[in-house]
Amino acid sequence: MTALPSGLSWLEASARQRLAALLDPGSFAEFIGPEQRERSPHLRLFDLPEQFDDGMIVGRATLCRTPVLVAAQEGRFMGGAFGEVHGAKLTGLLRAAALLGRDVLILFDTGGVRLQEANAGELAISEIMRAIVDLRRAGNRVIGLIGGRAGCYGGGGLIAGCCSALIVSEQGRISVSGPEVIETNKGVEEFDSRDRALVWRTMGGKHRYLIGGADGYVADDPAAFRAATQSALGRSPGLDLSMLHAEHQRLTRRLARFGNARDGTDVWSTLGIADPDAIPGLADDDFRHLADACREVADDAR
Amino acid sequence: MAEWCEQRDALNQRLAAGQSHAAGKRVPLDRLPALLESVLRPGDRVCLEGDNQKQAEALARALAQVDPARVHDLHMVQSGVVLPEHLDVFEKGIARRLDYSYSGPQAARIARMLFGGKIALGAVHTYLELFARYFIDLTPHVALIAAVSADRDGNLYTGPNTEDTPTVVEATSYKSGLVIAQVAKIVDKVPRVDIPGDLVHFVVETGTPFYVEPLFTRDPAAITETQILTAMLAIKGIYAPYGVRRLNHGIGFSTAAIELLLPTLGERLGLKGKICTHFALNPHPTLIPAIEAGWVEQIHCFGSEVGMEDYVAARPDVFFTGPDGSLRSNRAMCQTAGLYACDMFIGSTLQIDLEGHSSTVTTSRIAGFGGAPNMGSDARGRRHPSDPWVKAGVEADPLGSPALRRGRKLVVQIGETFGEGNAPLFVERLDALDLAHKLDLELAPVMVYGDDVTHIVTEEGIANLLLCRDKDEREQAIRGVAGYTEVGRGRDPAMVARLRERGVIRRPEDLAIDPLDADRSMLAARSIKDLMLASGGLYRPPSRFRNW
Repeated sequence: MTALPSGLSWLEASARQRLAALLDPGSFAEFIGPEQRERSPHLRLFDLPEQFDDGMIVGRATLCRTPVLVAAQEGRFMGGAFGEVHGAKLTGLLRAAALLGRDVLILFDTGGVRLQEANAGELAISEIMRAIVDLRRAGNRVIGLIGGRAGCYGGGGLIAGCCSALIVSEQGRISVSGPEVIETNKGVEEFDSRDRALVWRTMGGKHRYLIGGADGYVADDPAAFRAATQSALGRSPGLDLSMLHAEHQRLTRRLARFGNARDGTDVWSTLGIADPDAIPGLADDDFRHLADACREVADDAR
Repeated sequence: MAEWCEQRDALNQRLAAGQSHAAGKRVPLDRLPALLESVLRPGDRVCLEGDNQKQAEALARALAQVDPARVHDLHMVQSGVVLPEHLDVFEKGIARRLDYSYSGPQAARIARMLFGGKIALGAVHTYLELFARYFIDLTPHVALIAAVSADRDGNLYTGPNTEDTPTVVEATSYKSGLVIAQVAKIVDKVPRVDIPGDLVHFVVETGTPFYVEPLFTRDPAAITETQILTAMLAIKGIYAPYGVRRLNHGIGFSTAAIELLLPTLGERLGLKGKICTHFALNPHPTLIPAIEAGWVEQIHCFGSEVGMEDYVAARPDVFFTGPDGSLRSNRAMCQTAGLYACDMFIGSTLQIDLEGHSSTVTTSRIAGFGGAPNMGSDARGRRHPSDPWVKAGVEADPLGSPALRRGRKLVVQIGETFGEGNAPLFVERLDALDLAHKLDLELAPVMVYGDDVTHIVTEEGIANLLLCRDKDEREQAIRGVAGYTEVGRGRDPAMVARLRERGVIRRPEDLAIDPLDADRSMLAARSIKDLMLASGGLYRPPSRFRNW
């Protein structure tokens, strides 16, 4: 029989559990912690519960003794959605990183912008994207880790698109419009949001890794995220015009190759995978072995 | 002069009328409405097969298409009112009277139609009760049933989801009724004969398998820590002390948590082989880790479960399987097994009142009963002793003469004090009473009567109602585990403290359970994928339950 699951699952863990397991023990020092009660100014208007950290934990730490700044979203609070305080904490962290010359890790777990503070949330997304570009232009890395229950959707998907590298697990999902949004706007014929296997075939970790939407594919395990993050921190940083040109060319090529695909399996088949239907069932190591031989590779521009 | 063969004559007339649409027993799919118009007569009792799992949906569609001028005022006697077509026939006047058992997804519409007078309701039954009436006073004139395949003689293969079919056919065909079967495929030889062909009069090939709802799949990812706590309480406070080996589980998340705690907490407590060895139960995916760890000796099933077919077929020592290798389920037999051969039923409900009556009815929905009231009742015809049954009997009547004392079945209600949408589990007055008043029902739809309930488990503790000696004690025992609901806050603290001293109420600490230990890492599987892996890839979860 197969072994029962043991240890901490990244998917199951809270944001704070993820930080504790990812970073060097005892190295994390939080900025604007929950004791300061920096809460959303909007949620109370809707009689909604608040959280003292507004679902965003930011601070400094070391990972394998490399100093980094880190941000982690708590997907269990409002689906990790961006609001005014939630977003401002990440913007501030990214600007501090530029001043300090530090790399940043973002542990995404978000459905996008909070509807109750949509304007503040959308503004925060754009400020964060600008801050990431500034930070990367200054020669620092921004690494996204995606494997939480809420996935990385909406504005979170846009921010992820600005990162230097993304590390994803099978359970992680990356997209801008979520399944329900697509179904509502385009109809169930276009996308059946209740077909969860379809959701993962088109937005899930394996698919994103195969089409070059993510740079690292790891097991649902903090140690695996830690190892992949360490390796991503060793890659050369930077963002310049030639990288953007290369990325645009890659995206043009991707559209030409996969533009008519109706399903993830069509894409995988075009990539040269003999049995695309077997992909979702593959164990992590077998999958990575197969994928590394044929996947699209992202340029750092993303 | 007496006529003794009118029903047989009527059957022959139906057969002759139907023959114009058939070649032998075979009827083309597009002729199905015409066939039904020719064999059905106004006022016929009709069983349209369907329950909480399988559906004869092609026959349901065809019945909804017949001309109400020709076929009207049918009396539907069927387990499930589940598909829209099941109610469309009442909207159109094709059917008029209804006796049924379960209505799940049509619960709101059936309530509206009852209120609007579109349906003349006989009664809402339990499955076994309705099956019983098929043989006494609700015998169908025509049965419309579903099978996987048929041969040219009409022998049917019903496959893992056999469920109600043998009972329906037995009652109909042996009482000169007409049986029409929908099958996905007509084959030269069926994998096994579940229904003999001479009981089946017409067969229609649909080309697609009959619909089955995966009703018994609970995603471990959705199990909360509170549910884990209630599950820990149940295992330590009920399963272990009574030594419950033969039982049935409901479909809630708390019982799914119990199934997933057996190989972890149960193992640590040394309970393997002492509890949960024999089940009357559908093949719950959440039971896979316990089965794989060698906990379960035997399971008899009401129906199957989507995606579990290959797993079940690979574990014939545990499940009942046919010569073809696949599961043989039988709802009537399994309900009987649950009633007479199980020592415990444990399930969830939506509302419990101060006497312990419970109901899953809300004012706008009438979901029916299914099997729970049968599983969740004491069988007064039971005569064989077993340790849990005898022990429960002693608790209920400590002074009675041992040789004359009835045992008691353990009937356990388990749930969180606040359920979905923060609705309180405990109420002063069941919504079922308001519904009964509104619809002018003689009986309020009560799922489990208070005098059958022996234990209530919430995150606050266990109330053992067997140990309550009067109505007041019973009420305070219930209030004493009702948490911060209005009912819970209305408790008499002194009396609740006394009940706790007597062990009528037991808190987590009384059972050496630290609520902070109730953690998802205790579950033997934390996702559907874990279940799939635990089955060695034999369990194939439906697409809607996958997150990979």
